[in-house]
Amino acid sequence: MRVWSTPARVVLVVAGVGLGACVLAFLGALFLHVAPANSVSKEYRDQVDWVVYPEFEQNWKLFAPDPLQRNVEVDARVQTIGADGQVATGAWHGLTAGDWAAIRHDPAPSHLDQNLLRRAWDFYESTHGEGDAQAPDGSRGRMAERYLERIALQRIGPGGDRVIQVQLRATVTSVAPPAWSREQVDTAPHVRELPWWPVQAEDRRGLS
Amino acid sequence: MTSAATAVRAALPRLLTTLAPYQAAVVRIGVAGTWGAYLLREWPHRRVLYGDRSPWSAELNDRLLADTHAFTALSWSDGRWWFEAVYLLALLSAVAVAAGWRTRASTVLFALTVLSLQNRNVFLGDGGDNLVHLMAIYLVFTRCGRVWSLDARRRARRPGRDPSEWGEPRAVADALAAMLHNCAMLVIAVQVVLVYAAAGWYKVQGTRWQDGTAVFYPLKLGYFTPWPELSGLLGGSLLVTFALTYGTVIMQVGFPFSLAARRLKNVLLAVMVCEHLAIAVLLGLPFFSLAMVSADAVFLPTAFLLAVRERLAGRWAALRAGRRTSGAADGTGADGAAGVDAGAGTAVDAGAGGEPVGGRGD
Repeated sequence: MRVWSTPARVVLVVAGVGLGACVLAFLGALFLHVAPANSVSKEYRDQVDWVVYPEFEQNWKLFAPDPLQRNVEVDARVQTIGADGQVATGAWHGLTAGDWAAIRHDPAPSHLDQNLLRRAWDFYESTHGEGDAQAPDGSRGRMAERYLERIALQRIGPGGDRVIQVQLRATVTSVAPPAWSREQVDTAPHVRELPWWPVQAEDRRGLS
Repeated sequence: MTSAATAVRAALPRLLTTLAPYQAAVVRIGVAGTWGAYLLREWPHRRVLYGDRSPWSAELNDRLLADTHAFTALSWSDGRWWFEAVYLLALLSAVAVAAGWRTRASTVLFALTVLSLQNRNVFLGDGGDNLVHLMAIYLVFTRCGRVWSLDARRRARRPGRDPSEWGEPRAVADALAAMLHNCAMLVIAVQVVLVYAAAGWYKVQGTRWQDGTAVFYPLKLGYFTPWPELSGLLGGSLLVTFALTYGTVIMQVGFPFSLAARRLKNVLLAVMVCEHLAIAVLLGLPFFSLAMVSADAVFLPTAFLLAVRERLAGRWAALRAGRRTSGAADGTGADGAAGVDAGAGTAVDAGAGGEPVGGRGD
């Protein structure tokens, strides 16, 4: 085995202690981030956030504490104005229905079908707890609105007439409990209709 | 007390050597392979997911980035061709990392491209993407190209000086790199433990996991039922649903503790790999499952990995030999056989100092 000189030993020990301390601090921060909010993670919140955000974020509550027990189906429709000034409201397009159809019998579903709209809606819901009124300018809520609006416009596609407004609605249906369960669950669909959002030409940028 | 001290003193020099080279290689191949396959699968949709046609426009993302300070090279320009170049680079670096070509440099490029794409739209990913993101960063600090890589093959063909003949500066540099590698491997192992511990302990609190029906519900979600007939069949049985629900929680909560018992750990690993394969098919999450299995591989025993390698090498050699005897003796066969031999040589060499992070004494 190699015999190290004193300077080499110093370098190795210093490096070892330094690396060990860094690893401990890093793993400690990850642990506190993953653990339920506790006295330590509250006290050192800034330090933990400094380590974890933006690149070491973790969300491992996979299907926990409870799995999702409801299906959300998002539909969208547009209002167009013709050359003669006639305003027409189009039919509802099943955006989620399209996703589900694409996923069916696909062994490797695309994130386009499985995650894009689903997570955009989650984003919207998480920023619109109090209702569907327009969120303040520059807020996350407004970003979620713009994102959903653009998803709808992209999927409906450019029709003949100019689109002036777009509207979304979400139909939420609870999954019925298994046949052997005696639990009573309301499985009637609940519809959440969002307000009409005005559409400008620049809102379509890059979509087609 | 003194015997413990001597044991520690004896163990210390080992920390200056590259531990768990096989586990590092499997994680590298698994993670890069998963991400590479994912990028290929999304090739037709790449511009809508991460590029110039994304409904999550560059302006929207710029506003978010100003808040989060996440890294993405895609914010440097929102033009189409810059995006195409980054996507192609991401694909090429995934191939390079999986093959272990110029591994250190390609892992850096791999991590940067993974971050660039994922941070272009953070509202796209699932747990699998999150895991690839983390592993891509950790792999940069490992010596994951020590074995089972093009780099290892090249080193075996053109061996340098024996490490015992190195001057001290080089030996110190080598020991420092080994220490960094060992730390990164520890981080990877703890990260996997954190994933399961968090997933398990949060489930314990859920009423659905307690009443034994939790597994039933995802099988009824439109987004996670590519095979509704199959999902209906599985979710239709009370006993199967109960066993899977309770089994999942017990496994996830128990996995961290099983690391103290080698045999139990290996059994749980095998069960977890099977569960992930089932998730891949039933819930339509193949890339998520592949990423999880790749990360789990950090806990696979060295003996098992070597045995798998032996079998694959045997098949490969037999294939080569078969082709040679069938008349295609143009020199490539002999060349390939030499490569296999050389690879086996490095495997044995590195194996002497290598031990898995997870299972001591495997």
